Amino acid sequence: MSNASPLQPKGQAATAPHESCGFQRGLAAPAQARNGATAVGIVFDIKEFAVFDGPGIRTTVFMKGCPLRCQWCHNPEGLSPKPQLMVSTAACVHCGACERACPLGAEVPTGGCWQPKGCTACGACVPACRGGFRKIAGTAWTAEDLAARLNKDADVFRATGGGVTFSGGEPLLQWDFVSGVLDRLAGVHTAVETSGFTTDAVFAQVMEKLDLVMMDWKVSDPEAHRRYTGVDQAPIRRHARMLAAGDTPFILRMPIIPGVNDEREHFETVAELVKGAKSLVRVDVLPYQRAAGAKYDMVGRTYAPEFDEAAAPKYFLDVFEREGIPCQVFR
Amino acid sequence: MTERIRALMHFQWERLHHAARIALPEDLELTYRDRSLPDTLRTALRLKQALEMETPYLFDNEIIAFTRTVPNLPRIFDDAEWAAITEGHFIHELGNVSNLSPDYASVISVGLLAWREKLGEGELHRAMRISIDAVLKLTARYAAAARAKGDEALAEVLDRVPALPPRTFREALQSLRILHYAMWCEGDYHNTMGRFDQTMIPYLRADLEAGRETEESAFELLEAFFLACNRDSDLYPGMQQGDNGQSIVLGGMLPDGTDGFNLLSKWCLKASAELRLIDPKINLRVNKDTPLEVYELGTQLTKLGLGFPQYENDDVAIPGLEALGYDTEDARNYAMAACWEFIIPGRAMDIVNIGALPFANIVDRVLREHLTACRSLEEVKALVREAIFADVRKTLAERRNLYVIPSPYLSLFFDGCLESGRDISLGCKYNNWGLHGTGVAPAADMLAAVDQEVFHGDTAPEALLRAMADNFVGHDALRDQLKYHCPKAGNDDDRVDGLVGWLLDTFADAVEGLHNERGGIIRAGTGSAMFYIFHANELGATADGREAGVPLPANYAPSLNIRLNGPVSLIKSFSKPDLRRTINGGPLTIEFSDSVFSQEESITKVAQLVRLFVQRGGHQLQLNTVNRERMLDAQKHPENYRNLIVRVWGWSGYFVELDKCYQDHIIRRAELLV
Repeated sequence: MSNASPLQPKGQAATAPHESCGFQRGLAAPAQARNGATAVGIVFDIKEFAVFDGPGIRTTVFMKGCPLRCQWCHNPEGLSPKPQLMVSTAACVHCGACERACPLGAEVPTGGCWQPKGCTACGACVPACRGGFRKIAGTAWTAEDLAARLNKDADVFRATGGGVTFSGGEPLLQWDFVSGVLDRLAGVHTAVETSGFTTDAVFAQVMEKLDLVMMDWKVSDPEAHRRYTGVDQAPIRRHARMLAAGDTPFILRMPIIPGVNDEREHFETVAELVKGAKSLVRVDVLPYQRAAGAKYDMVGRTYAPEFDEAAAPKYFLDVFEREGIPCQVFR
Repeated sequence: MTERIRALMHFQWERLHHAARIALPEDLELTYRDRSLPDTLRTALRLKQALEMETPYLFDNEIIAFTRTVPNLPRIFDDAEWAAITEGHFIHELGNVSNLSPDYASVISVGLLAWREKLGEGELHRAMRISIDAVLKLTARYAAAARAKGDEALAEVLDRVPALPPRTFREALQSLRILHYAMWCEGDYHNTMGRFDQTMIPYLRADLEAGRETEESAFELLEAFFLACNRDSDLYPGMQQGDNGQSIVLGGMLPDGTDGFNLLSKWCLKASAELRLIDPKINLRVNKDTPLEVYELGTQLTKLGLGFPQYENDDVAIPGLEALGYDTEDARNYAMAACWEFIIPGRAMDIVNIGALPFANIVDRVLREHLTACRSLEEVKALVREAIFADVRKTLAERRNLYVIPSPYLSLFFDGCLESGRDISLGCKYNNWGLHGTGVAPAADMLAAVDQEVFHGDTAPEALLRAMADNFVGHDALRDQLKYHCPKAGNDDDRVDGLVGWLLDTFADAVEGLHNERGGIIRAGTGSAMFYIFHANELGATADGREAGVPLPANYAPSLNIRLNGPVSLIKSFSKPDLRRTINGGPLTIEFSDSVFSQEESITKVAQLVRLFVQRGGHQLQLNTVNRERMLDAQKHPENYRNLIVRVWGWSGYFVELDKCYQDHIIRRAELLV
């Protein structure tokens, strides 16, 4: 678990998500604020000094909820758009205190350590656990409060060329909220890490509003893309082309998964996509890390990749070298 | 790294020179143990005997000579004598002169013979002469051994120094090595090598300008000197191996107000990064104008996990020392005493760690005894203030009639000792005492929690005290509230950061106007040394939600069992108090996971973070790069991790050579890392 925990804004407990953040398997549709009420965003982590998420000293906000189901996802708590219970099961001593604290009573499975059926993420069991092994991932923030939290460090961001990055999950799933926060940030560099799986209209706004777009290019073959990520590649390809043709500085990120996309053709596709793009900062090559499955247990999911985790991912940097495309490998 | 350095390093790393070590003979005749001899002469005679017992030992291809072969020193006093002394005196640590910064530079530059000529017949002077002669005699034996080995170059260096002024960089380094070596043999310890770059730069520059050395050959000399600092470091006394005070200070303002960062400062950072050894420990003096490039060089070292450099901020330290009464040129010339206490080279017989104010224990006691009678935080604070004043006075009252074992040899390196005939152990220009302040962050967390939950919340004071008495068993909701939903120092929350500032200010107020028996003042600080382990053991569960048995943080750092926002908030929090008033020393410590450094651009980002702390008025900062899994594995398989270096409290040591309580503390700190 990362060190930063969901920070609870004063006087505001983690609550059920705003209805408008409802999860849907289609394109990331922006949540709408209704009746003039302030939109609420669900955030599962805020990480200061996120050194890999853009230039300078910056803070990354992890927005909850993602329409993709990439087999190698290492943030499974970012998948569901709702606040949810996370339990670190490995160190549990089965004292049963969580069961006694649970308002669902009899429906709690015996043995402790895990969540009951129909868990509402009410959080009653969290303080009951003396080991501190339980937490609620997902905190509701208003755009005002989140912007204030981030603006607190605006001086540091400005002094170092840094700023704020929105990541996830898929941050564009809550684009209206993110956009509302962006409007309130005090002149700092802004970036987004996205799958690119959203509507063209939203993506155009993103390119308009952000100083840097970091977009994943996961799998080149459309069929394989659907198999390994669960979604259609077409909008992502359109958005890669929009980036390549546009003025917004962008980084294309390639998670390299052994046996899935560690082929020369994949690198050639990327080279073809970004060749000549005047606003390309670089291509980031992110070889698969074996720790990816670490958090699945904690959210009650099973990590079951169809690829061979132990294989060393291959990459073909010569393809980029030949085309003069700057790239960086994150080992 | 040259082949020659590589070979010397391998030899040393395999501890092959340990084969030359011999135990003290049991029937050794201790000629200095004559009861009619004054202690000053005894010390000199013991140094003489210790150096006479040494056998010159030369590595193949030796560059900077002098290696200990007799690991132990016979004691100056027998048991009965020592018992009589301790009966009537306060003894600090082992009783020796320690934690000072000898002015090696002045002695090196004129040579020991010039010093010897000034000596008359008084007791101290006789002792100094005996000491100088003993050092020169061993040097002559080393020179003869070098000649016998056919190493004429080394022999010529040893013919020259430390008797006479060095003509070259190599001679200057060799002179310092010998003078520092003899310091340990006198029984003194934890005394630093001070402003090494300033001491040595004239000799380096002269060599480079005259073409006597190339940059490569001079750099080799520097690395050979650093290597030599590690040959005997397992023999130096300390709480744990590595805690030996063998540190150097780089950069910083010079007495004339100019900036001292020079070519050698840069080289020292590079040499340390190449060698990756625990000594010498590096302090880097910086200020608001220090270029990012200097921080980047320092960060390259941090990345390696050595636990240094430790940064000192001139903009805070110099005015702070001036306000304590140090003359401006002395304040500008500060070095670090062993770990992180500010000390003036050659002019201070300060005892920088004579005691510690246990902030957390004091606040805890006040809450236990008086919370039910208090109606506001202000009332609690008034009681805490009283208790801090009382604790400082009690500590001082217990430190009366100090006795320090004389150090006539070390007195050569302190202003005025030779002229006055007074040994350094009796005092110098500055005779101030320093107090650490442990657990200031948990103390502030306790006050903030009580303010929120008791004075502005629904928790009855009795309920809180009951929960603490029960170690929170059966009071889970309250514990969770205290631990995770109250303001915590380190999260850039003014409600609690203000309390840290208030506690430190109160500490500074409490020592203001006090004097020790030597006429010196009392300095308040933010360090902990090993007190963080002692003081935590005396505590039960505390009002900040901390359960009994959870350690206190080392030095000036956030509590260990809380959730932190991250390093930016941490730096903002801990640079808020006016640290000029608590300038005895004690750094903020930040731990990084080594994965932070997997990209080269992280060097710049970490450097920017350090600069942020300095520019916001932080006084001292120390960064660690750790890998928790490696440490856990090292506990299971120490044989695989002989070279794993970690920072403990004010010094770096080899992880596998630490006691388990210190290993565990470092692992626990790593759980909070970035």
